[in-house]
Amino acid sequence: MIDAVVRAHVGAFKISADIEGEGVTCVAGTNGAGKTSLMKALAGFVQLDEGHVRVGGVDVGRLPIEKRGIVLVTPGSFFPHLDVKSHIKWGARLKGETLSEEQTAKVSKDLGIDFEGPVRNLSLGMRERVSLATALLAKPRAVLVDEVFSSLHDREAFVKIYGGLAKASGVELIFTSQDEADGKLADRMYVMREGTASLNGS
Amino acid sequence: MNSLRVISYTVALLLLVPLVVLLYYGLGPFRSSAGLTTGIFRSIELSIVSSAIAAAVDFALFTPLSYYLARSQDPVVESLVDIPVGIPHPIVGVALLILDSPLTPTGQFLLYLGINFFNTILGLVFALVIMSAPIYVKSMQPYFESRDPAAEDFAMGLGASRLRSLYSVVLPDSTRGIVSASLIAMSRALGEFGSVSIIAFYVLQAPFYGVSPASVTIFQLYSGAMPGGIDAAVTASAAMILVALPITLAGHLVQRRGRV
Repeated sequence: MIDAVVRAHVGAFKISADIEGEGVTCVAGTNGAGKTSLMKALAGFVQLDEGHVRVGGVDVGRLPIEKRGIVLVTPGSFFPHLDVKSHIKWGARLKGETLSEEQTAKVSKDLGIDFEGPVRNLSLGMRERVSLATALLAKPRAVLVDEVFSSLHDREAFVKIYGGLAKASGVELIFTSQDEADGKLADRMYVMREGTASLNGS
Repeated sequence: MNSLRVISYTVALLLLVPLVVLLYYGLGPFRSSAGLTTGIFRSIELSIVSSAIAAAVDFALFTPLSYYLARSQDPVVESLVDIPVGIPHPIVGVALLILDSPLTPTGQFLLYLGINFFNTILGLVFALVIMSAPIYVKSMQPYFESRDPAAEDFAMGLGASRLRSLYSVVLPDSTRGIVSASLIAMSRALGEFGSVSIIAFYVLQAPFYGVSPASVTIFQLYSGAMPGGIDAAVTASAAMILVALPITLAGHLVQRRGRV
């Protein structure tokens, strides 16, 4: 369950959003509508002027970024020097958790990760699959996916699988999209216009 | 644009004219065997070793600081690091001397601990670190600033602290920046004269017992304190340039190749 009230600004651009719900949330909007700024504010990289960010009843908005348990995944969210296997386990290992081969193998298979080697050699889409697997296997409170799904060739099927895995692990998922039609892949959709988010664009 | 380029090339080459002339005379007409003795080479060796150690210390101590400055724009720390750049270099030598003098409480304490800067490799390296660290930071900070912070943000979201993110995510992917900044810092240290001529005119420790840093030796040749005359000073200077130039060039080449 996410309950976030965000009032923030990036330069002169104001962000205003009230987000509430459980499961998979889509934030749709055109370029410059404020989707990325909203994601950054939820993850703690943009300070709130007012509001709160609660996930699973915990007021994470008051915590430092590394303690929030909110992972922001963007096209740049990868560690080029690692190989795929250690990359996928990175977040879990950081928490001192050991992942079984079955766990990593299942997530890798479900997300279409059938490649190995250094992450720097992968294509954008492949890297993004690895980043998303890494985020999920770290079992955070929430995963925020910004502008990542759109570069996957099997986007719709992938979002459904990823959303399913997130729900099964009790992880909230928020993803951004330029296409309001992607709302059908989520449990609810917010549409952003000029920095303001509204449920279903109403 | 073309005339701007001509002006830029002209003034850049103007800076190098004295060095080219020195190289020509040092290796040509003024070449003197007194400028190419084992003693001179030992001096150059001491300068290279102490500058390399200083660059390694710069890397170990000032990489986190450079990263901090790149990500937080802290004006206080930035000014503090810049201070040694703005003061005459001999003052740094005198300051180190006072810090470690038997006449001051700090010196008495350091000497009690067995820490002696005067005419030691430690004092030489300390002076070189003070003079080269700001150059290291000035090279490393823009490198970090130019990095896309997305991977670091990702690491922090996964639970890594800033410092952890630096060591586990940023540094393994920053070899080029580190090598370049270290070489540039090392070449800065190789050229240091003012501070080392006071704190470590020569070092009294093995394996460099009685050896002066190259810049000090060249000054001694020039001033007549060492036999050989001006020819020897010019020859030794040319030899020093031939050693130092590749290090400086390598530092800049690595940096340029790193730009995408």
